[in-house]
Amino acid sequence: MKKYLLLAVALLLVGAILVGCASEPTSVLDKIQKAKKVSVGTSADYPPYEYVDDAGNKTGFDIELMEEIAKRMGLELEWVDMPFDSLVAAVASGKLDMSISCFNYDEERDKTVDFSEAYYTTEDAFVVTSAFSGTIVAPEDVAGFKVGVQSGTVQDDWLTTNLVTPGLLPEANLSRYERVDQAALDLANGRIDVLMGDYVPIQALVAQNPDLQVVYHGELSTGPINIVLPDGDTALKAEVDRIIKELQAEGFIDQLAVKYFSE
Amino acid sequence: MPKPILTINNLTKTYGKNVIFQHLDLTVNEGDTIVIIGPSGTGKSTLLRCVNLLTRPNEGQIWLDDLEITAKGTDEDQVRQHIGMVFQNFLLFNHLTALGNVKLGLTKVKHMSDEAATDKAMKELSRVGLADRADHYPGQLSGGQQQRVAIARALAMDPRVMLFDEPTSALDPELIGEVLEVMRQLAMDGMTMLVVTHEMGFAREVADRIVFMEKGYIVEEGSPDEMFNHPKFDRTREFLWKITELYGKKEKEAK
Amino acid sequence: MDFGQFISYIASGTVYTVGVTLIALPSGLLIGTILALFYVYGGKVAARVMNLYSTIFRGIPPLVLLFILFFAVSKGINLSAFLAGSLSLGMVSSAYQMEIVRGALLSVSGDQLMAARAIGLSRLQAIRYVVLPQAVRLAIPPWSNEAAIIIKDSSLVYALGVPEILRRAQLIGASSQKYLLAYLSAAIIYFLLVSLTTRLLNRLENKLSIPSHP
Repeated sequence: MKKYLLLAVALLLVGAILVGCASEPTSVLDKIQKAKKVSVGTSADYPPYEYVDDAGNKTGFDIELMEEIAKRMGLELEWVDMPFDSLVAAVASGKLDMSISCFNYDEERDKTVDFSEAYYTTEDAFVVTSAFSGTIVAPEDVAGFKVGVQSGTVQDDWLTTNLVTPGLLPEANLSRYERVDQAALDLANGRIDVLMGDYVPIQALVAQNPDLQVVYHGELSTGPINIVLPDGDTALKAEVDRIIKELQAEGFIDQLAVKYFSE
Repeated sequence: MPKPILTINNLTKTYGKNVIFQHLDLTVNEGDTIVIIGPSGTGKSTLLRCVNLLTRPNEGQIWLDDLEITAKGTDEDQVRQHIGMVFQNFLLFNHLTALGNVKLGLTKVKHMSDEAATDKAMKELSRVGLADRADHYPGQLSGGQQQRVAIARALAMDPRVMLFDEPTSALDPELIGEVLEVMRQLAMDGMTMLVVTHEMGFAREVADRIVFMEKGYIVEEGSPDEMFNHPKFDRTREFLWKITELYGKKEKEAK
Repeated sequence: MDFGQFISYIASGTVYTVGVTLIALPSGLLIGTILALFYVYGGKVAARVMNLYSTIFRGIPPLVLLFILFFAVSKGINLSAFLAGSLSLGMVSSAYQMEIVRGALLSVSGDQLMAARAIGLSRLQAIRYVVLPQAVRLAIPPWSNEAAIIIKDSSLVYALGVPEILRRAQLIGASSQKYLLAYLSAAIIYFLLVSLTTRLLNRLENKLSIPSHP
């Protein structure tokens, strides 16, 4: 009797979820233009792309870029900070209008959301401490060590697909972290030997900690970074892409890169 | 012609396969003090609980005055207002003072104003000699005092009949006297009482009739003189002799 | 780096922590008490249903419930992250609080109920005027425990984007690289909140306690 009741409740929950999922296609562009407001998600724990200054204000490459885009769309920007893992789901379920958080294009993500044109290109990097005694020439060489990565990132995917699944890197030697700074801590105390991440924030880490050094950087999993948009809203994508092209042509983005990425 | 307040007719109570008592007949007239005696476990307490409908009998009827209270559809809460009950373990409401305990039924059941309820409650507490303890909590009262408050609580509802379920069995010997004295005074004042007890002194002095129950039956009933001096059944004589022996011992201890 | 700014940035999350707690805890108490009354006095079927409720909401990790409520269910009814988080925590808490109240009700001896009926109080009146007042006093210590748990669990709403204490510590820790300081600050704030609450509840317990043995 108890089993049937449990089943009934489970069905009810699933039903509620399905109702939630069955969304009628609404134009987000229409909605935000009417409200004159756009809510944008980011995970502000990722300097120099998005982070908080001493006063607690959001700042960074992505932040300033998005603020300019919103300005050119004539919209008031409402930032919503969320853990990185939750951002895609939030856009997919309509909780956010879009998200900028150093996203790389990813097929899995593309199933539930759309991507803008690339607004910048990044690289991957592997970073170790000065205590590291191994040799890493090619990226696959990291398979011999304990590796850390931020979970849900394209670096995570790259490591899993190219090293873990073929059996080169044992699953137990791959540590996933919610945030890069957590991984950096474990790198410093020796729990992991190598950290794989986006080159730019890793450079920021290295700048603050002379004990760290980058042993390799290049385009492996990364490359272009994009803004995450709601699935199927072609009008919104067209508008955002247009502004990105404008900003690139004006040199605005290059200026931001100089401001945030040079040492 | 004495008027029956309580009439018990052919009452049977079983619990699963166990027969607690069967085919009991008992009449309690106005002003009577009936004392029920007998070995433990013979259903005496259960009988009292049937009278105030805390338990339902399997067979038989009970009348309070002219109302058959065992009939279907009787408002039990209403009926219980007219039947007072005093328990072996006092069962005072721990979160209320003595006054609060006595007032509760007056304010919530009889819907008296707070003033009127306080007046009446203090009267009843005076009656049992505890007016000066009105603001004490049960935890601050001795067993004998608690039981007297319990009696006041039951009396406050102006019941037609008072039921006492071994009221002194949980008390220290020195405290028994004060409770029995209250009960004796009540009987003198004309309250109709049904008392289950082992206190033979009380039975002998105060009871109008003594009922001897054993193994679910009423073995014999009669006046104290009849029961103690000329019982009809050997079993009655046996039991009374044994318990008077015990009572005699108890008396010596209390002294 | 301005130390004062650092701390005050983290501390400004307190208003969200307190807000979530002030929704979750009382709603959990209200629902939990009602359900507990049904559980104890409602008969066999009610007891089974309540038991099921308890099993479900104590068996799912609160974070999972938060996600379900925020991402899936609330597409029909639009709930803010703050509300979705607070209500989810309230639901989880209601299951634990139901067990607390149930335990307290059962600890008040059934004889108290019987004595109340004997003076003519109805079942409802007996529960309300005799059993519940005594149960409340028994429930305060475990309830104080539950309050502390909710204050700390309130940090879970960070996953939905509510800028409470923990999330702020994460952000400023990440940007300043001063992680230890950030998390210690957060820990101290939580500690202060819980201490204050526990102390207040102790006072309440003393105030309500029934005198005995003069």
